[in-house]
Amino acid sequence: MSAEQAITAERIEQGIAGFVSGRVNAEVPADQDLFASGLVSSMFAMELVVHLEQAFSVQILGDDLKRDNFRTVAAMTALVLRLRDAGQPADA
Amino acid sequence: MPEPLAGARELVDDLVGDRAAEWDRTGEIPDEVLRTMAARGLLCAGVPADFGGLGATSAANGEFTAYVGSRCSSLRSVMTSQGMAAWAIQRLGGPRQRAMYLPKLAGGQLAAVAFSEAEAGSDLSAMTTTIEPDGDAVVVRGRKVWTTAAHYADVIVVVGRYGSGAAAVVVPASAPGVTVRRVPLPSGCRAAGHADVRLDEVRLPADAVLGGGQPLMLLVTTALAYGRISVAWGCVGILRACLDAARRHARDRRQFGEPLARHQLVGRHLANLLTAEQIATRVCEHASRGWDSGSPDMVIATVLAKQVSAVQAAQGAATAVQVLGSTAAHEGHVVERAYRDAKLMELIEGSTEICQLILADHAVSMAAS
Repeated sequence: MSAEQAITAERIEQGIAGFVSGRVNAEVPADQDLFASGLVSSMFAMELVVHLEQAFSVQILGDDLKRDNFRTVAAMTALVLRLRDAGQPADA
Repeated sequence: MPEPLAGARELVDDLVGDRAAEWDRTGEIPDEVLRTMAARGLLCAGVPADFGGLGATSAANGEFTAYVGSRCSSLRSVMTSQGMAAWAIQRLGGPRQRAMYLPKLAGGQLAAVAFSEAEAGSDLSAMTTTIEPDGDAVVVRGRKVWTTAAHYADVIVVVGRYGSGAAAVVVPASAPGVTVRRVPLPSGCRAAGHADVRLDEVRLPADAVLGGGQPLMLLVTTALAYGRISVAWGCVGILRACLDAARRHARDRRQFGEPLARHQLVGRHLANLLTAEQIATRVCEHASRGWDSGSPDMVIATVLAKQVSAVQAAQGAATAVQVLGSTAAHEGHVVERAYRDAKLMELIEGSTEICQLILADHAVSMAAS
């Protein structure tokens, strides 16, 4: 990961953590299991999907909707980074 | 760029004409009507142009849904089912599945979505239908009830248990082991083709399972979100039909030497109907704006729209029956159909009480304003 990519990842993680914290009224560490802690209802899970799509200009479809991709803030960050890379032309 | 729904209302007027009462009575929408709508992509107008659809916004599709709902709630209900199936495939399907199924749904095929079971209505975690891998195939077993439009459908998106979670599978209605039996004489949307669906050892290629063959989140939530915004707009249509019938009647009919509308107690009914129509319209517009802008607020706004519109439609239809009196008190009158159809809208896609529970949860968890 280049320095630039590392900054992007950190920014994305902060953005996601901010959204989740705002919705659950609590600080949420990047590695906290959101499902095990009971923080995520199906309505909130859908809000998360729509938020990630809007905030980071990605589409989350098909098997990317598997639970493990949304289990932690860190997992969501990895998903967003992967989808952003996949959405760019190879030479970009 | 041409407006994707240009000419659609005129087509609906041609196709429905004054036949909605007859379809309600016979419980059947003619095949030609459904096929014409389906072939033009009008039953799922939100399917993107990339997949051969009309690519209508939620707001435009919503207003069109209301228009159809003002003419015939059964046809609108078939639209809701088709749109739910398409949306579920668009969200949950992989690239090949989207490319395979969506052009068909936007181009003439009819579809339904099967969630409910005898013991699993609002509590879908109690579902017993299973989708089990077997080599390159999957086997679907179960019994679904009250599947709207299944009587007409070429394909049925079936939700069932799958491994440790759940999955949705696209089942051709013609597949061996599929039996579709109509719900006899439903109380509302009588021509919407509600049916029970039996799945006896239905063997399908594994790629009929949406997504990559692992349990996904939001299977039901995704499809229901579309169903809810569609039902909500359909209720706007019911209210518009009721308002229109009530105000015309109150203007034209005279009692005690005056039009009914001049009698204050009747005037209040008209005011309440107008208020209901406006409340439902605004809450639907708000939710559709969320869909179109990709705002996370669309999730709760959609539940709110369904809740508000269905309750307003049920109350508004009862009000319209009161205004029209004996004029509407016979089977098939637009207001009499609205009365039965609107009540059904309070029961489906999350009953009024389920929507209230979701809204209550939201009220508890939302950030302070």
